[in-house]
Order: sequence, then C-alpha cells, then structure tokens
Amino acid sequence: MNGPGGHGRPGRGMEEKHSLDDFQLEQMEQETEEMLRVRYLNDNNAKFERTGTGFLSLRVGEEFYPRVTVVRMFPFSDKNEFISIRTAEERSKEIGIIEKLSDVSKETVEMLEEQLTLRYFTPVIEKIIKIKDEYGFAYWNVVTDHGECNFTIRMGGNSVIHLSDTRILIMDIDENRFEIPDVNRLTVAERRKLDLFL
Amino acid sequence: MILQYDLSEENMKLCGLSEGEEVYYCLPLDIDLQGDYRRNSYTVMTNKRLLILEEGTLTKSYPLEECDQLKSEPQIACGILFIEHSGREVLLGRFTAKHLTRYSYLSRGMVILKRGRTEKVVSHEYEKTCPKCGRGLPNTRECPRCSGNKVGFFKDYVRMVSPHMGKMALILLLMLLSTFVGLLSPRVQRYLVDDLLTAEGKTYVDAVPCLMVMFILAIGAIAINVGKNYMCSRLGSFISADLRRQVFDKIQQLSLAYINDRSPGQLMNRVVRDTRRIKDFCSEVFCNLFTTIISFVFVLIYMLTMNWKLALLAFVFVPVSIGLSIGFRKIIHRKFHMQGIKSDKENSKLQDVISGMAVVKSYGQELSEAEQFGEAADAFADVQRGNETFFAIFFPILSFLLGLGSYLVTFFGGRATLLGTLTPGELLQFITYAGMLYGYVGQLSNLPRHLMNLVTSMERISDIMNQEPAIFDTEESVDLDIQGEIEFHHASFGYKSYQPVLEDISLKVKKGEMIGLVGASGTGKSTLINLIMHLYEVDDGEILVDGVDIRKIRLEKFHSQIGVVLQENFLFAGTIYNNIRFAKQDATHEEVIRAAKMANAHDFICQTPDGYNTYVGEHGYNLSGGERQRIAIARAILSNPRLLILDEATASLDTESEYLIQKALERLTEGRTTFAIAHRLSTLKDADRLVVIDGHHIAEMGSHDELMRKKGIYYGLVRAQLEMQKTTA
Repeated sequence: MNGPGGHGRPGRGMEEKHSLDDFQLEQMEQETEEMLRVRYLNDNNAKFERTGTGFLSLRVGEEFYPRVTVVRMFPFSDKNEFISIRTAEERSKEIGIIEKLSDVSKETVEMLEEQLTLRYFTPVIEKIIKIKDEYGFAYWNVVTDHGECNFTIRMGGNSVIHLSDTRILIMDIDENRFEIPDVNRLTVAERRKLDLFL
Repeated sequence: MILQYDLSEENMKLCGLSEGEEVYYCLPLDIDLQGDYRRNSYTVMTNKRLLILEEGTLTKSYPLEECDQLKSEPQIACGILFIEHSGREVLLGRFTAKHLTRYSYLSRGMVILKRGRTEKVVSHEYEKTCPKCGRGLPNTRECPRCSGNKVGFFKDYVRMVSPHMGKMALILLLMLLSTFVGLLSPRVQRYLVDDLLTAEGKTYVDAVPCLMVMFILAIGAIAINVGKNYMCSRLGSFISADLRRQVFDKIQQLSLAYINDRSPGQLMNRVVRDTRRIKDFCSEVFCNLFTTIISFVFVLIYMLTMNWKLALLAFVFVPVSIGLSIGFRKIIHRKFHMQGIKSDKENSKLQDVISGMAVVKSYGQELSEAEQFGEAADAFADVQRGNETFFAIFFPILSFLLGLGSYLVTFFGGRATLLGTLTPGELLQFITYAGMLYGYVGQLSNLPRHLMNLVTSMERISDIMNQEPAIFDTEESVDLDIQGEIEFHHASFGYKSYQPVLEDISLKVKKGEMIGLVGASGTGKSTLINLIMHLYEVDDGEILVDGVDIRKIRLEKFHSQIGVVLQENFLFAGTIYNNIRFAKQDATHEEVIRAAKMANAHDFICQTPDGYNTYVGEHGYNLSGGERQRIAIARAILSNPRLLILDEATASLDTESEYLIQKALERLTEGRTTFAIAHRLSTLKDADRLVVIDGHHIAEMGSHDELMRKKGIYYGLVRAQLEMQKTTA
C-alpha cells in the first residue's frame, strides 16, 4: 500500500522486527486454518449438558464451553439442518455444526430445541380476526400459535416480506416477526383482509 | 420511552417493599420461555432488589449487591434477560422485541444503583405506539390524537398565521364574497325563470339585464376565486418559508446527540415535507374550508325555510352520501395502494437488474432475469387493468347514487310545481342548492383526513421546536480564553445511554502536550474527541478545561478556539478562499495566504486555473484528498486554535502528500494542546504521550518507548503493523 521502504515507520520498532516474524506468521496461519475448518458435531464427539440456569454447556474433547448459543443457518428453508453451535460472547466463534437434528440423540435434540425456542420467536398466525388500516399504519388482531395478539405495522415499506408466493413474514413496528406459512390455508374472508399486503 | 410500567395493587403486594425501598424500573416479561404470550409478568427493580413476578407469583428475588451484572441479550425478534450471579449466568425471563430497547436501559440502571446513586435512567427515545390508544406514532413524542392538546394545536396554528393577519383578513373577506356570489346566482336564476321567462307579457329584451347580472356574477365568482386561491397559496408559502427557517435554526441549535438519533432523511422530511404539507393545507383546504362551511349552513337554512318538507327529503340522502364517499374512498385507496405496491415491485426489479447489469451479463443470466421482470410487469398490468375496469364501472354508479337525492327532490319538487305549490324558479333554485349541498358534504367528509395530516405534520414540527437543546449556554457560562490544559475526571459516555462507549476515563493533559489516541476501530477514540469538542455531554463524571467545567464555558467562544482536521474534510460549496476563511470570516488576503503557505497548500492553489477563487464543493473543481486535507489544515492554522484535533488526518494519502502534510501538521501542532488519532502509528511519532483505549477504558498510557517495553496492546499493534507492511511490501 505504502510502497517499498515504508516511509515514516517508527524506527524504534525496527530492531524487534526479526524476532517477531516467525511467531506472528505461525499464529496468523493457525487462526486462518481454524476459521476454514468445518467441524461436524455428533453424539460421539460432543456432549451437551443443561446448565440448570436455563442455558446449555458443551464439551468437545478437551474443550469445555460453559454456555453455547445454538443458531440456525437456514431458519426459513431448512430449520432442522445445519445448526451452528457457537460460543456465547459478542463476537462469537463457531465451535461446530450439527448437520441434521435427526443425527443426534433424542435427549440432545430436546436440549438443542429448548435453546432454539429461546432464540427464535416468530409466532405463526392461525387466524386473522381483524386488520384495520388508518393513517399509514395497519392494526392487526390475530390468533397465533402462542395466543391472541395485537400488533401494528407500518404501511408501505418492507413490513411484509414474501418468502415464497404463499408464505409471508410480517414485521411489526417493534420488529417483532409473524409468519403466515401458507396464505391459501386461510379462509376467503381472512384472505380478503390480507389482500392489501399480498 | 416508558421504563416503569404501572404495577397492579396485587403485584405491588407481591413485591413486599421494605422501609425505604422504592420501585425504580418495571418492565413486562411478555412471553414465557416457550414463547406463549403473558399479560401479567414483570421484571421489577427497586433500589435494593431485582424481582421477577410471573402471573401472580413472585418467582425470583435477588438483592442487587448479589447480582454481578444484569444482561439483556437480543435474540431473533425477542430478547432474554439474565444475571451473572456468583459466577453463573442465570436466565430470568424473556420478552418480545417491543421491550428490547427498554431492557437494555435496565442494566445501566442497575449499575447506577449498585454504585449507590439514586438517579433514575431516563430514555429519550420515543414510544412506537401510543400507550393510551395503541395507535402507531409517526415519530412524534406525543400521539397526535391523544395528546389532547387540540387547543395547543390551534394555538400553534394561530401563532403560525398571526404574522400574516392582513392577508388573513383579506382572505376571509374574499371567502365571504365568494360564498355570497355562489349563493346569489341560483337566486337570480329563479328570478329569471319566475318573473321573466314564465311571466306573461315579457319579452327577451326584459331578460337581458338579468342575463347580464348572471354573466357578471359568473365572471365575478371566477375573479374572486382566483384572487382567493392566489392569496391562500401566498399565505401558505409565507408560512412554510417561516417554518422552514425556524425548524432549520432549531436543528442547528440542537446537540449532535439529537441529530444523530434521527436519520438525515427524517430531519430533511421535517424541514421540507412537513412544512409543505402545512402549506398545502393552507392553500388547498383552509382556502375552501370556510366557504364550504358557511355555504353549507346557509344552504341548509335557506332550503328549510323555502320548503321544509322537500328539504328534509333532500337531507335523507346526506348521511347516505357521506357513507358512500367515505366507503368508496377506502376502496379507492386500497386499489391505488395495491397498484402502488405492484408498480414498486416492478420498479425495484428493474433498478436491481440495471444496477447489477455487469453481474447479470457476466454470469449469463439475462433470460431468467427477463422472465422475472416479465412476471412483475404482468402482475402490475393485471392489477392496473382490474382497477381501470373497476373505476370505469363504479364511478358512474357512484355519481348516480350520490345524485339520487337530487332525483327525488326533482321528482317531488316537480310534482309540487305541477300542483302549483312551488314555482318553477323556486324548484330550479332548490335543485341547485341540493346539488351544492351534496358537493359540500363530499368535501367536508374529506376534512378529518386533511386535518389529521395537518396535525401530524404540525406535531412533528413542534416536536423539534419544543426540543430543549441538550447542550446550551446558561447565564453562568463564561467566556474562557483557553490555555490548553484538559482534564478528564471519571468521565463516562455512550451515544445511547444504555450502551457505554467510554467508561470512567481519567486523564490529565498539560498545556501544549500532544496526545496520540490509539486503539482498534470502534473503541471510542473519536468519541473521546467529540467529548473534548463538547459536541456531546458526558453522562457521568466531568471534563475540565483549564480547571473549568466544560459545561460552564460559552459554546461559541469555546469552539472558536478549537481547530479540527479530519480524515474526510468537508469543504462547503464555495471558493477555496471562503473555505479557508470559514472559521475566521474577517481574515485578510495576507493572513489567508500565510496560512495556506504554512499548510503547504499555497503552491497547488496557485496552479489551479482560478487560484484562490477556485470554486470547490459538490460540482466544483476536483481536489485530491491530499489537497483537501491541506486546505483543512490551512483553515485550522488561520483560526489559530488553542486546542487542536487531528482525526486520522494523514490516513489514505500517498507518501509525498503525507510528507507535506506531516510537515504542515508539525508547524500547526507546535505549542498547542493536540489530540491526534491515527491508525498508522508512524503518524504519532511526535506525540508526547500515547493513550491506548480498549474495552471502554484507558488500557495503557505512556510514551512510545514505555509502551513498547510494557509489551501490551500497543506493542501488539506496532508488531501487527510491521507484519502487514512486510507482507504488502
């Protein structure tokens, strides 16, 4: 970037340069290598355990993680495949991947699903009671798989996302999400209320 | 934003507050761990304890001193709350995205309480929906409907209009005139029919004066309306120009914290769109409003006195026509909205493909893109065709239905005329008035919508106008001639009060010292500088300039003594000369040239075709990054600042310009207290002290040699840069 010679580097650092080289390069290469590696986890190499305080810990060989986060790589298309198990810190790193939930034991699936339930919150709209639009907002009153619910979305803009021709995701003004997996399964009257958003 | 929801009496009882204990924060836990909605679960924080109430029972209670940290972690469209408690993370509950922001304030609240302080964290963010009526809020603090300050609204409106009283009076006069003329014409027509056309022994010659009067009235009506509309638009533009200026002034006064909380687009909308809406209201709605109301009332009374039975018959259709116009407006709105959505889709697809044309072509995807665009175009065409058909069929039907009242009036009125109880002229007048009546009803039914638009816009504007600037001069503010000693005393700050960027910073800088700020991106170096410039106020602790609290120094005087050179320097549209003189408007030619020479800018300026008069800015002469930089340095030199801020002043420059700029900076920093940020550590070789910021704190401090010996963060950074240099060289 700066051309050969590196004009203006602090001269005082120069003498330390050679002693630093090998160590530095080795470490950087190791890190890169680690980032590229795909490690699949299964019952044989990974042991999940409930922490008893609502979270999940993981032991992989020598490594122990007091809390891991469980993340779906394809939350819309393949929600039970390719589950990334990650460290819990802010800049999380991947510990490993579970390719299919069906690959691991029932107990493990249960534990993972607990964490997934905790992480993802997208109520499925089962019944539309009323949609009222007024002055730039639409007010929804719906029954979801988690109970009855009122929410507000902004008209226009990107409040309604089409995941496919029949599957829609709705984002309210607080950025809560609601899903209608198949609009054709709604009654004609409900679909008419929805018309404006399709 | 609400951070303390009301607790029912039962829930308060569950909390079992002790003596001197007080509820500080209360937030809903509105879903359970499985995601089912709950209506009666809360996280309560008192000055002593953290409590979890779940559906009528107290499930958890922790004394604050036992909680090491309270954390709320955003998940996907929800959030979880947990504490660190004797080395373990304990999950406390879960909430929807509605409360995500609120919960992040809670952790901060706890930190403050644990430090033994008693103030409550206040959120300046706005609610998204009105807590009273549940309606969405259009980026205003108060709900335009519930704020109940209808009085305030009219007061605001009157305040806006009051400087233009003369014009208002004229408009009102014109309104009255236009009403009068509008109502008079049918009366004259009646005279024409009854007393001239159907009367015995009259010839067309007798009708001529009457026709003349009608002609004059028609011309007069046009003239009056033109005048009225002209005056109204003038009034509207005056008012909106006033408003725009006021809003702009206010925006400049407000602190950067307020500005940065809102997107530039949002603020521009307030200056441009909301003021235009008010103008539109003045010139379109207000203009006809009184005419409509007066005429409406007059026509009502006149019809009743003329023939009350017939009048009542006509009124029967008023509710019908109100209902019809509102109903149809909804349908029409829906249809247009739908058409808009489809057309948007088509447009965005088009834009997508055109801007990504290189990718489409290089991957040979033209056919599939064409197919997709075709689909979007078809969908739009379908909706459009459907809508056109709908309108073609329904508009005639609608106008027939709206006119139904007139047909009835004509029928019964005609019968009365044949029976001789009503003259033909009266019938004509009556029918005309009935038609006018329905027209007014249509206009008045639009009124609530227009008013709502107006109220919303006014609300958004007064939201700015009523904003108290966070940083302002008080009567105690002093004019301080800065010597250059800066001291941070346990200063903490975050752009959002719940996200600390700098915590507990203590640092003493001597007069004339050069401080190099070092750290990874996003650690708060620029934030520290923003605090020194007093663009933001510390949340906690204080900053002293020559021993005086920065909050007590008069802003304008303070800022006039600071020089700033940034990585990307903003040049205003104007000449190089004016840009250099920006901070010292009364500088002479000689002073400007001297400053330019010191900044190594003089030579390149002389080589531009127009010298110091060269126009720069958006459409002006194209300066290179290094040249802009040197102009900015000249600007800083000219203002002869006591305090100098260099934020990445030499990044992204080629070696030669860097050298020139380094030299210019050396001249500039001499004897001035300087804060310099640089990623390229070589830039900081002249710094007296280096301050390494990491993890919101000052991690290391000392000279280059001291820090290299310490083998800490700075040592690591230097090492990494040498390594990078080696691989790129």
